[in-house]
Amino acid sequence: MRALSIAATGMSAQQTNVEVIANNLANMNTTGYKSQIAEFEDLLYQNVESPGAQSSDTGSLLPNGIQLGAGVRTAAIARVTTQGALQSTSNPYDLAIQGSGYFRVTMPDGSNSFTRSGNFALSAEGQIVTQDGYVVAPGIAVPSNATGIQVNAQGQVLAQIPGQAALQTLGQLELDRFPNEAGLNAVGSNLFLQTAASGAPQAGVPGSTGYGTIQEGYLEASNVDPVAAITSLITAQRAYEMNSKVVTAADGMMQQTAAMAQG
Amino acid sequence: MRPCGRFRRAVLAARGRHARENRRIPRIGAVARALQPSCPNTEDQKGSRGAMHTTQLVYLSQGLAAYQSMEAISNNLANMSTAGFKREMPQFHEYVDQLKPGKHGAQSLSFVEPSGSWRDMRPGPIEMTHAPFDLAINGQGFFAIQTANGMRYTRNGHFTLDASGRITTAEGDPLQGSGGDISVSATDGDVHIAADGMVSGQNGQIGQVQLVDFPDDSALVKEGSGLYSTTQASQTPDNASLEQGAIEGSNVQPVAEITKMIEVMRSYQAVASMSETHSALMRTSMDKLTNATQS
Repeated sequence: MRALSIAATGMSAQQTNVEVIANNLANMNTTGYKSQIAEFEDLLYQNVESPGAQSSDTGSLLPNGIQLGAGVRTAAIARVTTQGALQSTSNPYDLAIQGSGYFRVTMPDGSNSFTRSGNFALSAEGQIVTQDGYVVAPGIAVPSNATGIQVNAQGQVLAQIPGQAALQTLGQLELDRFPNEAGLNAVGSNLFLQTAASGAPQAGVPGSTGYGTIQEGYLEASNVDPVAAITSLITAQRAYEMNSKVVTAADGMMQQTAAMAQG
Repeated sequence: MRPCGRFRRAVLAARGRHARENRRIPRIGAVARALQPSCPNTEDQKGSRGAMHTTQLVYLSQGLAAYQSMEAISNNLANMSTAGFKREMPQFHEYVDQLKPGKHGAQSLSFVEPSGSWRDMRPGPIEMTHAPFDLAINGQGFFAIQTANGMRYTRNGHFTLDASGRITTAEGDPLQGSGGDISVSATDGDVHIAADGMVSGQNGQIGQVQLVDFPDDSALVKEGSGLYSTTQASQTPDNASLEQGAIEGSNVQPVAEITKMIEVMRSYQAVASMSETHSALMRTSMDKLTNATQS
Protein backbone atom coordinates (compact mmCIF):
# COMPACT_ATOMS: atom_id res chain seq x y z
CA MET A 1 0.00 0.00 0.00
CA ARG A 2 1.64 3.16 -1.26
CA ALA A 3 -0.32 5.51 1.05
CA LEU A 4 1.73 4.18 3.98
CA SER A 5 5.11 4.98 2.46
CA ILE A 6 3.87 8.33 1.15
CA ALA A 7 2.68 9.29 4.63
CA ALA A 8 6.05 8.13 5.98
CA THR A 9 7.87 10.57 3.65
CA GLY A 10 5.54 13.29 4.95
CA MET A 11 6.32 12.39 8.55
CA SER A 12 10.07 12.36 8.04
CA ALA A 13 9.89 15.70 6.20
CA GLN A 14 7.97 17.25 9.07
CA GLN A 15 10.45 15.77 11.52
CA THR A 16 13.27 17.54 9.65
CA ASN A 17 11.16 20.70 9.77
CA VAL A 18 10.78 20.43 13.57
CA GLU A 19 14.53 19.81 13.93
CA VAL A 20 15.38 22.91 11.90
CA ILE A 21 12.93 25.04 13.90
CA ALA A 22 14.30 23.62 17.17
CA ASN A 23 17.82 24.61 16.10
CA ASN A 24 16.59 28.12 15.23
CA LEU A 25 14.92 28.50 18.62
CA ALA A 26 17.99 27.14 20.42
CA ASN A 27 20.09 29.81 18.67
CA MET A 28 17.67 32.65 19.30
CA ASN A 29 20.33 34.46 21.35
CA THR A 30 23.40 33.41 19.36
CA THR A 31 25.31 36.39 18.00
CA GLY A 32 25.27 36.54 14.22
CA TYR A 33 23.12 33.40 13.85
CA LYS A 34 21.07 33.20 10.66
CA SER A 35 17.80 31.30 10.82
CA GLN A 36 17.24 28.33 8.55
CA ILE A 37 14.21 27.13 6.64
CA ALA A 38 13.59 23.56 5.49
CA GLU A 39 12.47 23.55 1.87
CA PHE A 40 10.39 20.66 0.56
CA GLU A 41 9.78 19.29 -2.90
CA ASP A 42 7.38 16.70 -4.20
CA LEU A 43 8.87 13.35 -5.23
CA LEU A 44 8.63 11.71 -8.63
CA TYR A 45 5.26 11.03 -10.17
CA GLN A 46 4.19 7.71 -11.57
CA ASN A 47 2.21 8.06 -14.76
CA VAL A 48 -0.62 5.54 -14.45
CA GLU A 49 -2.16 7.07 -17.54
CA SER A 50 -0.28 9.94 -19.15
CA PRO A 51 -2.12 13.16 -19.83
CA GLY A 52 -3.16 13.04 -23.45
CA ALA A 53 -3.42 9.24 -23.55
CA GLN A 54 -6.21 7.85 -25.69
CA SER A 55 -9.26 6.93 -23.67
CA SER A 56 -11.28 5.36 -26.47
CA ASP A 57 -10.89 3.79 -29.88
CA THR A 58 -12.32 6.89 -31.52
CA GLY A 59 -9.36 8.92 -30.33
CA SER A 60 -10.71 10.92 -27.41
CA LEU A 61 -7.86 11.97 -25.15
CA LEU A 62 -7.61 11.95 -21.39
CA PRO A 63 -7.35 15.65 -20.59
CA ASN A 64 -5.59 15.16 -17.27
CA GLY A 65 -4.16 11.69 -17.09
CA ILE A 66 -3.56 9.89 -13.84
CA GLN A 67 -0.35 10.77 -12.08
CA LEU A 68 0.29 9.29 -8.66
CA GLY A 69 2.77 11.13 -6.49
CA ALA A 70 5.27 9.36 -4.28
CA GLY A 71 5.41 11.85 -1.41
CA VAL A 72 7.78 14.59 -0.37
CA ARG A 73 11.48 15.11 0.30
CA THR A 74 13.62 17.78 1.87
CA ALA A 75 15.15 19.72 -1.03
CA ALA A 76 17.31 22.09 0.96
CA ILE A 77 17.76 23.68 4.32
CA ALA A 78 18.20 27.27 3.27
CA ARG A 79 19.75 29.97 5.40
CA VAL A 80 17.93 33.28 5.60
CA THR A 81 20.75 35.81 5.40
CA THR A 82 18.80 38.89 6.40
CA GLN A 83 20.30 41.41 8.81
CA GLY A 84 19.84 40.72 12.52
CA ALA A 85 19.10 43.54 14.96
CA LEU A 86 22.11 45.45 16.33
CA GLN A 87 22.42 45.33 20.09
CA SER A 88 24.50 47.86 21.94
CA THR A 89 27.15 46.39 24.26
CA SER A 90 29.55 49.37 24.61
CA ASN A 91 32.45 46.90 24.40
CA PRO A 92 35.05 48.34 21.97
CA TYR A 93 35.91 44.87 20.68
CA ASP A 94 32.31 44.04 19.79
CA LEU A 95 31.87 44.70 16.08
CA ALA A 96 28.65 44.32 14.12
CA ILE A 97 28.36 44.31 10.33
CA GLN A 98 25.57 46.53 9.10
CA GLY A 99 24.93 45.22 5.60
CA SER A 100 26.50 42.30 3.81
CA GLY A 101 29.87 40.66 4.22
CA TYR A 102 31.72 38.37 6.63
CA PHE A 103 34.76 38.80 8.87
CA ARG A 104 37.59 36.53 7.76
CA VAL A 105 39.08 34.38 10.51
CA THR A 106 42.43 32.60 10.20
CA MET A 107 42.18 29.09 11.61
CA PRO A 108 45.15 27.48 13.43
CA ASP A 109 45.92 25.42 10.28
CA GLY A 110 46.16 28.59 8.21
CA SER A 111 42.88 28.13 6.35
CA ASN A 112 40.17 30.76 6.31
CA SER A 113 36.74 30.65 7.81
CA PHE A 114 34.12 33.37 7.88
CA THR A 115 31.81 34.76 10.53
CA ARG A 116 29.20 37.43 11.15
CA SER A 117 29.68 37.13 14.88
CA GLY A 118 31.84 40.09 15.91
CA ASN A 119 32.26 39.45 19.62
CA PHE A 120 36.05 39.71 19.52
CA ALA A 121 38.64 39.99 22.28
CA LEU A 122 42.39 40.43 22.67
CA SER A 123 44.76 37.50 22.88
CA ALA A 124 47.76 37.26 25.18
CA GLU A 125 49.86 38.63 22.30
CA GLY A 126 47.54 41.60 21.89
CA GLN A 127 45.97 40.35 18.66
CA ILE A 128 42.27 40.75 17.90
CA VAL A 129 40.83 37.22 18.10
CA THR A 130 37.43 35.49 18.18
CA GLN A 131 35.95 33.97 21.34
CA ASP A 132 37.67 30.70 20.34
CA GLY A 133 41.06 32.43 20.08
CA TYR A 134 41.32 32.40 16.28
CA VAL A 135 42.97 35.45 14.74
CA VAL A 136 40.71 37.87 12.90
CA ALA A 137 42.34 38.61 9.52
CA PRO A 138 44.54 40.44 8.70
CA GLY A 139 45.84 39.97 12.27
CA ILE A 140 45.81 43.32 13.97
CA ALA A 141 47.95 43.67 17.08
CA VAL A 142 47.06 46.27 19.67
CA PRO A 143 50.07 47.76 21.46
CA SER A 144 50.07 46.98 25.17
CA ASN A 145 50.29 50.66 26.09
CA ALA A 146 47.17 51.59 24.12
CA THR A 147 44.51 53.10 26.34
CA GLY A 148 41.69 52.50 23.98
CA ILE A 149 40.85 51.41 20.46
CA GLN A 150 38.39 52.67 17.98
CA VAL A 151 37.06 50.95 14.88
CA ASN A 152 35.41 53.22 12.37
CA ALA A 153 32.63 52.38 9.92
CA GLN A 154 35.20 51.69 7.16
CA GLY A 155 36.93 49.07 9.30
CA GLN A 156 40.04 51.06 10.19
CA VAL A 157 41.34 50.09 13.61
CA LEU A 158 42.82 53.07 15.48
CA ALA A 159 44.47 53.14 18.90
CA GLN A 160 44.87 55.83 21.49
CA ILE A 161 48.50 55.83 22.62
CA PRO A 162 49.43 57.89 25.69
CA GLY A 163 51.52 60.89 24.72
CA GLN A 164 50.28 60.96 21.11
CA ALA A 165 47.73 63.51 20.08
CA ALA A 166 46.61 61.74 16.90
CA LEU A 167 45.15 58.24 16.86
CA GLN A 168 47.54 55.62 15.58
CA THR A 169 46.28 53.44 12.72
CA LEU A 170 46.79 49.76 13.57
CA GLY A 171 45.29 48.15 10.52
CA GLN A 172 42.33 47.72 8.24
CA LEU A 173 39.64 45.07 8.73
CA GLU A 174 38.26 43.60 5.53
CA LEU A 175 34.93 42.01 4.76
CA ASP A 176 34.37 39.11 2.38
CA ARG A 177 31.33 38.65 0.23
CA PHE A 178 30.21 35.55 -1.62
CA PRO A 179 28.22 35.21 -4.83
CA ASN A 180 25.91 32.87 -2.87
CA GLU A 181 26.27 33.29 0.85
CA ALA A 182 23.43 30.81 1.49
CA GLY A 183 25.80 28.17 0.09
CA LEU A 184 28.37 28.55 2.88
CA ASN A 185 29.01 25.53 5.04
CA ALA A 186 28.23 26.17 8.71
CA VAL A 187 30.77 24.39 10.89
CA GLY A 188 29.54 25.54 14.30
CA SER A 189 31.03 28.17 16.63
CA ASN A 190 29.36 30.74 14.33
CA LEU A 191 31.93 29.96 11.63
CA PHE A 192 31.31 29.27 7.96
CA LEU A 193 33.52 27.68 5.33
CA GLN A 194 33.67 28.44 1.65
CA THR A 195 32.14 25.76 -0.61
CA ALA A 196 31.77 25.15 -4.32
CA ALA A 197 28.19 26.39 -4.00
CA SER A 198 29.10 29.63 -2.24
CA GLY A 199 31.73 30.67 -4.75
CA ALA A 200 35.05 32.33 -3.98
CA PRO A 201 35.22 35.08 -1.35
CA GLN A 202 35.63 38.61 -2.64
CA ALA A 203 37.41 40.84 -0.16
CA GLY A 204 36.55 44.50 0.13
CA VAL A 205 36.78 47.49 2.40
CA PRO A 206 33.73 47.98 4.65
CA GLY A 207 31.50 50.72 3.33
CA SER A 208 32.54 50.31 -0.33
CA THR A 209 29.85 49.42 -2.86
CA GLY A 210 28.12 46.18 -1.91
CA TYR A 211 29.84 45.82 1.46
CA GLY A 212 28.39 46.60 4.86
CA THR A 213 29.81 49.00 7.41
CA ILE A 214 31.26 48.22 10.84
CA GLN A 215 29.51 49.34 13.99
CA GLU A 216 31.77 49.30 17.01
CA GLY A 217 30.22 48.54 20.39
CA TYR A 218 27.37 46.60 18.86
CA LEU A 219 26.66 42.96 18.22
CA GLU A 220 24.42 41.56 15.53
CA ALA A 221 21.69 39.52 17.20
CA SER A 222 20.34 36.38 15.56
CA ASN A 223 17.66 37.00 12.95
CA VAL A 224 15.37 34.31 14.41
CA ASP A 225 11.86 35.61 14.84
CA PRO A 226 10.60 33.67 17.88
CA VAL A 227 6.92 34.24 17.09
CA ALA A 228 7.34 33.01 13.51
CA ALA A 229 9.41 30.05 14.77
CA ILE A 230 6.79 29.03 17.31
CA THR A 231 3.94 29.26 14.81
CA SER A 232 5.84 27.21 12.26
CA LEU A 233 6.64 24.70 15.01
CA ILE A 234 2.91 24.31 15.68
CA THR A 235 2.23 23.92 11.95
CA ALA A 236 4.99 21.33 11.57
CA GLN A 237 3.77 19.37 14.57
CA ARG A 238 0.18 19.32 13.29
CA ALA A 239 1.35 18.35 9.82
CA TYR A 240 3.26 15.44 11.37
CA GLU A 241 0.12 14.44 13.24
CA MET A 242 -2.01 14.53 10.10
CA ASN A 243 0.46 12.40 8.19
CA SER A 244 0.37 9.90 11.04
CA LYS A 245 -3.44 9.85 10.73
CA VAL A 246 -2.99 8.78 7.11
CA VAL A 247 -0.87 5.89 8.34
CA THR A 248 -3.68 4.91 10.75
CA ALA A 249 -6.31 5.19 8.02
CA ALA A 250 -4.26 3.19 5.51
CA ASP A 251 -3.62 0.60 8.19
CA GLY A 252 -7.38 0.47 8.86
CA MET A 253 -8.05 -0.22 5.18
CA MET A 254 -5.42 -2.94 5.09
CA GLN A 255 -6.95 -4.52 8.21
CA GLN A 256 -10.34 -4.56 6.48
CA THR A 257 -8.75 -6.19 3.45
CA ALA A 258 -7.11 -8.85 5.60
CA ALA A 259 -10.41 -9.48 7.41
CA MET A 260 -12.11 -10.03 4.03
CA ALA A 261 -9.67 -12.79 3.23
CA GLN A 262 -10.57 -14.59 6.45
CA GLY A 263 -14.34 -14.40 5.77
CA MET B 1 -39.17 -35.02 2.02
CA ARG B 2 -37.80 -36.01 -1.35
CA PRO B 3 -34.19 -34.98 -1.97
CA CYS B 4 -34.92 -33.32 -5.26
CA GLY B 5 -37.53 -31.07 -3.64
CA ARG B 6 -35.14 -29.87 -0.94
CA PHE B 7 -32.43 -29.28 -3.53
CA ARG B 8 -34.77 -27.26 -5.67
CA ARG B 9 -35.92 -25.11 -2.75
CA ALA B 10 -32.32 -24.50 -1.65
CA VAL B 11 -31.34 -23.40 -5.17
CA LEU B 12 -34.32 -21.10 -5.41
CA ALA B 13 -33.65 -19.57 -1.99
CA ALA B 14 -29.99 -18.99 -2.79
CA ARG B 15 -30.84 -17.47 -6.13
CA GLY B 16 -33.38 -15.13 -4.56
CA ARG B 17 -30.86 -13.86 -2.04
CA HIS B 18 -28.22 -13.35 -4.70
CA ALA B 19 -30.72 -11.43 -6.75
CA ARG B 20 -31.46 -9.13 -3.82
CA GLU B 21 -27.75 -8.72 -3.24
CA ASN B 22 -27.11 -7.87 -6.91
CA ARG B 23 -29.82 -5.23 -6.89
CA ARG B 24 -27.91 -3.37 -4.20
CA ILE B 25 -24.94 -2.85 -6.47
CA PRO B 26 -25.93 0.36 -8.23
CA ARG B 27 -26.42 1.92 -4.77
CA ILE B 28 -22.69 1.70 -4.06
CA GLY B 29 -22.42 5.21 -5.32
CA ALA B 30 -20.92 7.22 -8.10
CA VAL B 31 -18.49 4.94 -9.72
CA ALA B 32 -16.77 3.08 -12.55
CA ARG B 33 -14.59 0.15 -13.36
CA ALA B 34 -11.08 -0.17 -11.96
CA LEU B 35 -10.47 -3.27 -13.91
CA GLN B 36 -12.06 -4.93 -16.85
CA PRO B 37 -14.09 -7.85 -15.44
CA SER B 38 -11.68 -10.63 -16.12
CA CYS B 39 -14.38 -13.22 -16.59
CA PRO B 40 -17.38 -12.75 -18.82
CA ASN B 41 -20.79 -12.64 -17.19
CA THR B 42 -21.88 -16.20 -16.97
CA GLU B 43 -25.62 -16.06 -16.96
CA ASP B 44 -27.86 -18.40 -15.08
CA GLN B 45 -30.54 -20.42 -16.79
CA LYS B 46 -32.92 -17.49 -16.93
CA GLY B 47 -30.20 -15.39 -18.49
CA SER B 48 -30.95 -12.30 -16.46
CA ARG B 49 -28.51 -11.96 -13.54
CA GLY B 50 -24.80 -11.33 -13.36
CA ALA B 51 -22.80 -14.18 -11.92
CA MET B 52 -21.94 -14.26 -8.22
CA HIS B 53 -18.31 -13.24 -8.71
CA THR B 54 -19.36 -10.20 -10.77
CA THR B 55 -20.65 -8.79 -7.51
CA GLN B 56 -17.21 -9.21 -6.00
CA LEU B 57 -15.68 -7.48 -9.03
CA VAL B 58 -17.94 -4.48 -8.49
CA TYR B 59 -16.83 -4.36 -4.86
CA LEU B 60 -13.23 -4.70 -5.97
CA SER B 61 -13.54 -1.80 -8.43
CA GLN B 62 -14.76 0.44 -5.60
CA GLY B 63 -12.11 -0.92 -3.24
CA LEU B 64 -9.32 -0.13 -5.71
CA ALA B 65 -10.76 3.34 -6.24
CA ALA B 66 -10.63 3.87 -2.48
CA TYR B 67 -6.97 2.79 -2.38
CA GLN B 68 -6.14 5.19 -5.21
CA SER B 69 -7.93 8.05 -3.47
CA MET B 70 -6.07 7.24 -0.28
CA GLU B 71 -2.73 7.43 -2.12
CA ALA B 72 -3.63 10.81 -3.58
CA ILE B 73 -4.74 12.12 -0.16
CA SER B 74 -1.55 10.90 1.47
CA ASN B 75 0.52 12.59 -1.25
CA ASN B 76 -1.40 15.84 -0.72
CA LEU B 77 -0.91 15.70 3.04
CA ALA B 78 2.77 14.77 2.70
CA ASN B 79 3.19 17.92 0.58
CA MET B 80 1.30 20.33 2.81
CA SER B 81 4.57 22.21 3.48
CA THR B 82 5.92 22.03 -0.09
CA ALA B 83 6.19 25.49 -1.65
CA GLY B 84 4.09 25.93 -4.78
CA PHE B 85 2.53 22.46 -4.51
CA LYS B 86 -0.85 21.98 -6.18
CA ARG B 87 -3.16 19.35 -4.73
CA GLU B 88 -4.61 16.60 -6.87
CA MET B 89 -7.57 14.28 -6.53
CA PRO B 90 -8.35 11.27 -8.69
CA GLN B 91 -11.69 11.43 -10.46
CA PHE B 92 -13.91 8.44 -11.03
CA HIS B 93 -16.84 7.79 -13.25
CA GLU B 94 -19.41 5.11 -13.71
CA TYR B 95 -18.66 2.30 -16.09
CA VAL B 96 -21.93 0.64 -17.05
CA ASP B 97 -21.96 -2.97 -18.10
CA GLN B 98 -25.21 -3.80 -19.93
CA LEU B 99 -26.61 -7.20 -19.07
CA LYS B 100 -29.11 -9.22 -21.00
CA PRO B 101 -32.60 -7.74 -20.41
CA GLY B 102 -34.57 -9.64 -17.80
CA LYS B 103 -38.20 -9.90 -16.87
CA HIS B 104 -38.33 -6.33 -15.60
CA GLY B 105 -36.58 -4.66 -18.52
CA ALA B 106 -32.98 -3.59 -19.10
CA GLN B 107 -30.43 -4.48 -16.45
CA SER B 108 -26.95 -3.19 -15.95
CA LEU B 109 -24.01 -3.32 -13.58
CA SER B 110 -21.99 -0.25 -12.59
CA PHE B 111 -18.28 -0.40 -11.92
CA VAL B 112 -16.00 2.35 -10.69
CA GLU B 113 -13.51 3.54 -13.30
CA PRO B 114 -10.74 6.10 -12.77
CA SER B 115 -11.10 8.90 -15.29
CA GLY B 116 -8.07 11.03 -14.56
CA SER B 117 -6.83 13.23 -11.80
CA TRP B 118 -8.00 16.73 -11.18
CA ARG B 119 -5.37 19.29 -10.32
CA ASP B 120 -6.41 22.17 -8.14
CA MET B 121 -4.57 25.16 -9.66
CA ARG B 122 -5.84 27.66 -7.12
CA PRO B 123 -3.03 29.70 -5.58
CA GLY B 124 -1.57 28.73 -2.23
CA PRO B 125 -1.17 31.19 0.62
CA ILE B 126 1.66 33.73 0.24
CA GLU B 127 4.04 33.34 3.19
CA MET B 128 6.67 35.93 4.06
CA THR B 129 10.21 34.54 4.38
CA HIS B 130 12.21 37.79 3.87
CA ALA B 131 14.83 35.82 1.95
CA PRO B 132 15.98 38.11 -0.90
CA PHE B 133 15.55 35.55 -3.67
CA ASP B 134 12.25 34.06 -2.55
CA LEU B 135 9.59 35.05 -5.05
CA ALA B 136 5.86 34.48 -4.93
CA ILE B 137 3.70 34.78 -8.03
CA ASN B 138 0.58 36.74 -7.27
CA GLY B 139 -1.79 35.58 -9.99
CA GLN B 140 -1.40 33.26 -12.96
CA GLY B 141 1.82 31.95 -14.42
CA PHE B 142 4.94 29.92 -13.79
CA PHE B 143 8.67 30.53 -13.45
CA ALA B 144 10.66 29.12 -16.37
CA ILE B 145 13.63 26.96 -15.35
CA GLN B 146 16.34 25.71 -17.68
CA THR B 147 17.13 22.13 -16.63
CA ALA B 148 19.37 19.48 -18.16
CA ASN B 149 16.22 17.89 -19.60
CA GLY B 150 14.98 21.09 -21.19
CA MET B 151 12.70 23.90 -20.12
CA ARG B 152 10.61 23.20 -17.02
CA TYR B 153 8.08 25.33 -15.17
CA THR B 154 7.40 25.78 -11.49
CA ARG B 155 5.40 27.78 -8.96
CA ASN B 156 7.98 27.08 -6.26
CA GLY B 157 9.56 30.49 -5.79
CA HIS B 158 12.44 29.50 -3.55
CA PHE B 159 15.55 30.62 -5.39
CA THR B 160 19.13 31.12 -4.37
CA LEU B 161 22.38 32.17 -6.02
CA ASP B 162 24.92 29.67 -7.24
CA ALA B 163 28.70 30.02 -7.07
CA SER B 164 28.76 32.07 -10.27
CA GLY B 165 25.99 34.39 -9.07
CA ARG B 166 23.14 33.02 -11.20
CA ILE B 167 19.65 32.88 -9.67
CA THR B 168 18.86 29.16 -9.44
CA THR B 169 16.44 26.72 -7.86
CA ALA B 170 17.43 24.59 -4.87
CA GLU B 171 18.50 21.97 -7.45
CA GLY B 172 20.88 24.45 -9.08
CA ASP B 173 18.93 24.95 -12.32
CA PRO B 174 18.90 28.59 -13.47
CA LEU B 175 15.77 30.74 -13.42
CA GLN B 176 15.12 32.22 -16.85
CA GLY B 177 14.75 35.90 -17.48
CA SER B 178 13.80 37.65 -20.68
CA GLY B 179 17.43 37.32 -21.77
CA GLY B 180 18.32 33.88 -20.39
CA ASP B 181 20.03 33.31 -17.03
CA ILE B 182 20.03 36.15 -14.51
CA SER B 183 23.46 36.73 -12.93
CA VAL B 184 24.00 38.90 -9.91
CA SER B 185 27.51 40.16 -9.18
CA ALA B 186 28.95 40.83 -5.73
CA THR B 187 29.03 44.59 -6.36
CA ASP B 188 25.28 44.74 -6.97
CA GLY B 189 24.64 44.94 -3.24
CA ASP B 190 21.13 44.25 -2.07
CA VAL B 191 19.06 43.06 -4.99
CA HIS B 192 15.57 44.37 -5.48
CA ILE B 193 13.05 42.45 -7.54
CA ALA B 194 10.08 44.53 -8.60
CA ALA B 195 6.50 43.36 -9.06
CA ASP B 196 7.03 43.21 -12.85
CA GLY B 197 10.07 40.96 -12.37
CA MET B 198 12.73 43.62 -12.92
CA VAL B 199 15.87 42.64 -11.00
CA SER B 200 18.02 45.59 -10.02
CA GLY B 201 21.00 46.24 -7.78
CA GLN B 202 23.17 49.19 -6.88
CA ASN B 203 24.61 49.25 -10.41
CA GLY B 204 21.23 49.39 -12.07
CA GLN B 205 19.12 46.82 -13.85
CA ILE B 206 20.39 43.24 -13.98
CA GLY B 207 17.60 41.41 -15.78
CA GLN B 208 13.93 40.64 -15.73
CA VAL B 209 12.29 37.47 -14.41
CA GLN B 210 10.09 36.07 -17.10
CA LEU B 211 6.77 34.52 -16.17
CA VAL B 212 5.00 32.20 -18.55
CA ASP B 213 1.50 30.80 -18.73
CA PHE B 214 -0.18 28.03 -20.71
CA PRO B 215 -3.59 27.67 -22.32
CA ASP B 216 -4.33 24.54 -20.25
CA ASP B 217 -2.68 24.40 -16.81
CA SER B 218 -4.18 21.06 -15.93
CA ALA B 219 -2.45 19.33 -18.87
CA LEU B 220 1.03 20.13 -17.51
CA VAL B 221 2.88 16.99 -16.49
CA LYS B 222 4.21 16.87 -12.93
CA GLU B 223 7.84 15.76 -12.81
CA GLY B 224 8.53 15.98 -9.09
CA SER B 225 10.71 18.63 -7.42
CA GLY B 226 7.88 21.06 -8.07
CA LEU B 227 8.60 21.07 -11.81
CA TYR B 228 6.13 20.72 -14.66
CA SER B 229 6.84 19.91 -18.26
CA THR B 230 4.67 20.53 -21.28
CA THR B 231 4.66 20.70 -25.03
CA GLN B 232 2.23 23.62 -25.05
CA ALA B 233 3.42 26.95 -26.38
CA SER B 234 3.96 29.45 -23.61
CA GLN B 235 2.26 32.80 -23.43
CA THR B 236 2.58 35.86 -21.20
CA PRO B 237 0.30 35.72 -18.18
CA ASP B 238 -2.29 38.48 -17.93
CA ASN B 239 -2.46 39.34 -14.29
CA ALA B 240 0.73 38.28 -12.59
CA SER B 241 2.96 40.19 -10.25
CA LEU B 242 5.95 39.12 -8.18
CA GLU B 243 6.38 39.50 -4.48
CA GLN B 244 9.99 39.50 -3.24
CA GLY B 245 10.80 37.91 0.13
CA ALA B 246 7.72 35.73 0.04
CA ILE B 247 6.88 32.27 -1.14
CA GLU B 248 3.68 30.65 -2.33
CA GLY B 249 2.82 27.84 0.07
CA SER B 250 1.10 24.58 -0.78
CA ASN B 251 -2.60 24.87 -1.58
CA VAL B 252 -3.39 21.69 0.36
CA GLN B 253 -6.07 22.34 2.95
CA PRO B 254 -5.49 19.81 5.72
CA VAL B 255 -9.10 19.93 6.93
CA ALA B 256 -10.43 19.09 3.49
CA GLU B 257 -7.91 16.26 3.05
CA ILE B 258 -8.61 14.70 6.45
CA THR B 259 -12.37 14.90 5.84
CA LYS B 260 -11.93 13.28 2.44
CA MET B 261 -9.71 10.64 4.03
CA ILE B 262 -12.41 9.71 6.55
CA GLU B 263 -14.94 9.57 3.73
CA VAL B 264 -12.74 7.22 1.70
CA MET B 265 -12.06 5.08 4.75
CA ARG B 266 -15.77 4.73 5.51
CA SER B 267 -16.68 3.92 1.93
CA TYR B 268 -13.96 1.27 1.92
CA GLN B 269 -15.36 -0.15 5.16
CA ALA B 270 -18.82 -0.25 3.63
CA VAL B 271 -17.55 -2.08 0.57
CA ALA B 272 -15.51 -4.48 2.67
CA SER B 273 -18.47 -5.35 4.89
CA MET B 274 -20.76 -5.77 1.89
CA SER B 275 -18.20 -8.03 0.31
CA GLU B 276 -17.98 -10.03 3.53
CA THR B 277 -21.77 -10.35 3.70
CA HIS B 278 -21.77 -11.50 0.14
CA SER B 279 -19.14 -14.15 0.64
CA ALA B 280 -20.96 -15.36 3.79
CA LEU B 281 -24.05 -15.67 1.66
CA MET B 282 -22.17 -17.70 -0.92
CA ARG B 283 -20.75 -19.95 1.78
CA THR B 284 -24.21 -20.58 3.27
CA SER B 285 -25.69 -21.38 -0.10
CA MET B 286 -22.83 -23.74 -0.91
CA ASP B 287 -23.38 -25.48 2.43
CA LYS B 288 -27.10 -25.79 1.81
CA LEU B 289 -26.58 -27.05 -1.71
CA THR B 290 -24.07 -29.67 -0.68
CA ASN B 291 -26.24 -30.76 2.28
CA ALA B 292 -29.19 -31.03 -0.03
CA THR B 293 -27.37 -33.24 -2.50
CA GLN B 294 -25.83 -35.41 0.22
CA SER B 295 -29.08 -36.19 2.03
